[in-house]
Parts: sequence; structure tokens; C-alpha cells
Amino acid sequence: MNQKEFLSIVMPVKDKLYRMAKRLLVSSEEAEDAVQEVLLKLWKGKSKMKDYRSPEAFAMTMTKNYCLDRLKSKQAGNLKIVHNNFHHSDDVARQVEANDGVSLVFKIMETLPEQQKLVLQLRDVEQFEFKEIAEILESNETAVRVSLSRARKAVREQLLKQYNYGVS
Amino acid sequence: MELAKVEALLERYFDAETSLTEEQQLRRYFSEGNIPTHLQAYKALFDELDMAKAETSKQPVSLSKPAASKSPWWYGVAAAVLIGIGVAGYQWSQPQLTSQEQEALAAFEKSKEAMLLLSENFNKGAEDLVLIGEFTQAKNKILK
Repeated sequence: MNQKEFLSIVMPVKDKLYRMAKRLLVSSEEAEDAVQEVLLKLWKGKSKMKDYRSPEAFAMTMTKNYCLDRLKSKQAGNLKIVHNNFHHSDDVARQVEANDGVSLVFKIMETLPEQQKLVLQLRDVEQFEFKEIAEILESNETAVRVSLSRARKAVREQLLKQYNYGVS
Repeated sequence: MELAKVEALLERYFDAETSLTEEQQLRRYFSEGNIPTHLQAYKALFDELDMAKAETSKQPVSLSKPAASKSPWWYGVAAAVLIGIGVAGYQWSQPQLTSQEQEALAAFEKSKEAMLLLSENFNKGAEDLVLIGEFTQAKNKILK
């Protein structure tokens, strides 16, 4: 496989990788770095790429794992401050309020657990089939449906709260 | 699409039971006008989800690794050479003696020890000689 062939496989996926990385890492520079790193890894192991049924899903899985590793090492590097009186939903509301209007949904999404973030991103933004999502997340369809439903409902709850607050 | 159907679809959407085509129908419905007020929040949801897909990666792909920030292999070689020079220099600075010279050195040390012993005993004898001085004094008192 030469560089041109490789790029023809990878380029259509690149934006999806980037959007997923950004959803997890938040900063766009870090997301660009993650994509670059993953593509480089894929290029080095390109001989193996043909063995995968779906190179796209494989690239997505690699990106997901890379980002989760980054998050983990970042967390380990930082001192964690635990607030006992930390009210989750209040905090979300305040955070959302501060950014009013501008991508409300994604502000809410930032507060979800990683797995739910990923499922929501893959299904509602990228519109993958459940089977593909299960493959990317190395999980099964039932588990994917469960966390997707939870994620959608969590977003709905916060969104409606904001809307009722704004209207009344 | 009539309202009842939309609401039923929404219900299934939140239970994650809709197919991609059904979700597409929902998106289409919310992207068109005439949405009742109690469903306005969902319009925001689907609009934003649609917009999110427009975001793209701007950085061009480069497949040649930039000269790595990791230390290159010759750092290791340089360190090994420096250590080698250090060890060799230490060895050089130490005096190199032949076996004959070593023997002579040992003999010298032994004779030095013997001399020390001798002088120690000699000094012990000399201490006693002080008493003889007393005799001379006493004799001088009597025989002026």
C-alpha cells in the first residue's frame, strides 16, 4: 500500500476521528494532535490494515483508546480535589448558563461520562449503526443501546430545565 | 408528519429504539417550520447535533515523523564514550609498578618498621640516663 492509497482510505474518516477526539479531549489542538498520532500509527501498521473488516471502525477504536489514555494520564498528573458538597446538576446548570445559547447540547454533553459521550457522538452526530458502534467501542449492541438511552435522557433533562427556566 | 407520530417517535428515540431512518425523519421534521412550543427544546437538540457534523479537522496529514523530541540514539553513544574516558583516565593516573618495584617497596616498608622499633627502645634507654645527671649534681655539691 503506498501513501496515496493509504490517504484515500483514511481521509474520509479523518474528520470523524477529529470530532470524536474533540468530544473527549475538548481542546481542538489536542484533538488535532490525537488524530495525527493515530494516523501515523495506522500508517506504520498499514500492512495489517487489510486484515480488518472495517478500517474505519478500526481507526475509530484506536482514536477512542488513544484519547481515553490521554485523559487518564492527565488525571493522574493532576491533583484531584474532591468536593463533598459538590452538586452535580447545579454545576451543570451554571456552566450551561454561562455559555447560553452557544451549543447548549454540547455543554451538557461535556458533563456526561465518557462512554455516554462516545455513544451519543457516534450515533447522533456520526450516525453509525448500532452494530458499528458496538464494534468501535468493543462492546455489544445491548450495552450501546442502554448507554445511548441514558445519554439522550440526561441531555433531555438538562435541556428542558434550561428551556423552562428561559421561558418562565 | 402528524404530531402524535412525532411524539411517539421521540418517545422511542429517548429509549434508543429508533432506527437511523426514523431518526432521519425526526431531524427532517425539526428542521422544517411549524414546531409547537412544547417541542421547541428538541428542535435545538436536533439542530445542534446536525451542526456538529460540519466541524472538520484543519491540520493536514503528515506521515513522516518530525525529528523526534525523544533523545536520539547518539545521546547514548556519547554518554558511553564519556564514561569510558573517565574510567581510562582514572586507570592512567594510578602509578603502575612492576613486580620488582613492588618487592622493593615492601622491603622498604619493613625496614622502616624495624627502624621505628629500634628508635623506640633506644629512647626508653635514654630516659633512664637522666638519673645519672642527679649523680653529677650531688657530686658537684660536695666536690667544688
